[in-house]
Amino acid sequence: MFTGRLRALARSMSTAASTTAAAYPFSKNVIIRPATAIPQSIPLESLQKGKGLMPFLQTALPPPEKRQWMETLFSKRHPDRLLPGTVVTVITAHAPNTFSGVVLSIRRRGPDTSFVVRNIVQRTGVEMQFFANSPHLKEIKILKKSGGGGGRAGRRARRAKLFYLRHSPLKMTAIAGGVKG
Amino acid sequence: MQATPTPADPLKAAKWTPQSIRTGVIARKRGMTAMWDDLGARQPVTVLQIDNCQVTANIVTVRKDKTEYHAVQLGATDKREKNTTAQMMGHFRNANVGPKQIVREFPVTPDAHVPVGTTLSAVHFVPGQFVDVVAKSIGKGFQGGMKRWGFKGLRASHGVSISHRSLGSTGQHQDPGRVWPGRKMAGRMGGVRITTHNLRVVRVDTALNLLFVKGCVPGVDDAHVMVRDAKKIMVAQAQHNQAKGRYEKVLPKGVDDLPFPAGTQEMAKSLPPVIEAPSARVISPFLPRE
Repeated sequence: MFTGRLRALARSMSTAASTTAAAYPFSKNVIIRPATAIPQSIPLESLQKGKGLMPFLQTALPPPEKRQWMETLFSKRHPDRLLPGTVVTVITAHAPNTFSGVVLSIRRRGPDTSFVVRNIVQRTGVEMQFFANSPHLKEIKILKKSGGGGGRAGRRARRAKLFYLRHSPLKMTAIAGGVKG
Repeated sequence: MQATPTPADPLKAAKWTPQSIRTGVIARKRGMTAMWDDLGARQPVTVLQIDNCQVTANIVTVRKDKTEYHAVQLGATDKREKNTTAQMMGHFRNANVGPKQIVREFPVTPDAHVPVGTTLSAVHFVPGQFVDVVAKSIGKGFQGGMKRWGFKGLRASHGVSISHRSLGSTGQHQDPGRVWPGRKMAGRMGGVRITTHNLRVVRVDTALNLLFVKGCVPGVDDAHVMVRDAKKIMVAQAQHNQAKGRYEKVLPKGVDDLPFPAGTQEMAKSLPPVIEAPSARVISPFLPRE
């Protein structure tokens, strides 16, 4: 009974191994990916000489699922981009599975783009840095757009990096007060 | 000294052996970015691009003690003919290649010579193997002891006058009464040849001739770098494990064979466009290990 199942498994594994061996004979465990799509506007010769290669890789390396985020949430000019001071909930595949707070900073580095979220959890200030293109980052939900503090504070943050919030608990509660998780 | 190496038996395709040392490749450091492997661990990677790297000569030199030095000479990055000296133009004409900006050689074993004129490709390296990258480091100019040698300097206060970052003492007293040669002092830092060892090849892209290696590499962006199989993990370990009979440890885990004598553009046409190494980890970085 077991030997039959094992033989079937071995057979399926061997066919998979033989196809990868035929495709790439130097290693069995490599991952074969489709060719990086080069748009018509960029000539291949100039990319092969390195002209504009890194800016091209900034857009081409993130997987297709994440490219939508890179073009909207993490772009510099999109109307729906993430602004520092926005209150977000981030859902990850690892613990803590959800984390909410204020976006303090966005670090734009193409595939290495990341942002820092701060919240007060059980009277302790907690910051988490999330990498946008990480496979563990599942969802970013915007709870309150930047500038939702009310009154004079009800305008967008006048800084790109809100590290001053680390020393002002009053402003933190004004912006992200009562946000659980 | 140029000499034609002994022609290999055309019926027996050249195969990598643990005693062989293959040629390296001349690439250009294009920049750094980050990638996530199949288990979800983030890897900082350096992007190296192979810019028309061709074999310009196979070198065989017989030394006075009758031993032989074998090397493969490569040229990379095309150059304008008007900017190339007549002597170098003659050399490139012999090899039937266009003028190149940089010409370097890689010592090899006699079986690893590559036909002159062959264009090397990124498929020369197998994802999962380790490489050494040699380049000139970023020049830092004239630097003091603290930056150049990691000296601690002196106190910021408590009576220290003017010498907060100075070298301090440079020796003993009347005996020896001089400063030993090699005393670490201030001077020019950087701009020297540096080898970074044991960098793992993470991804190979054949269309753009890109090599993604994990970690950082000396030099500025767009600088020429020499990439070769890691001497410690690939060459020395292969020879040692073969001699000890540990045949499964001859090559790094996951690597079965290496293109021999070199991974060429012709070979790249028959291989997949983008090849990525599996994670070196066992489980996801966010799961606890038992």
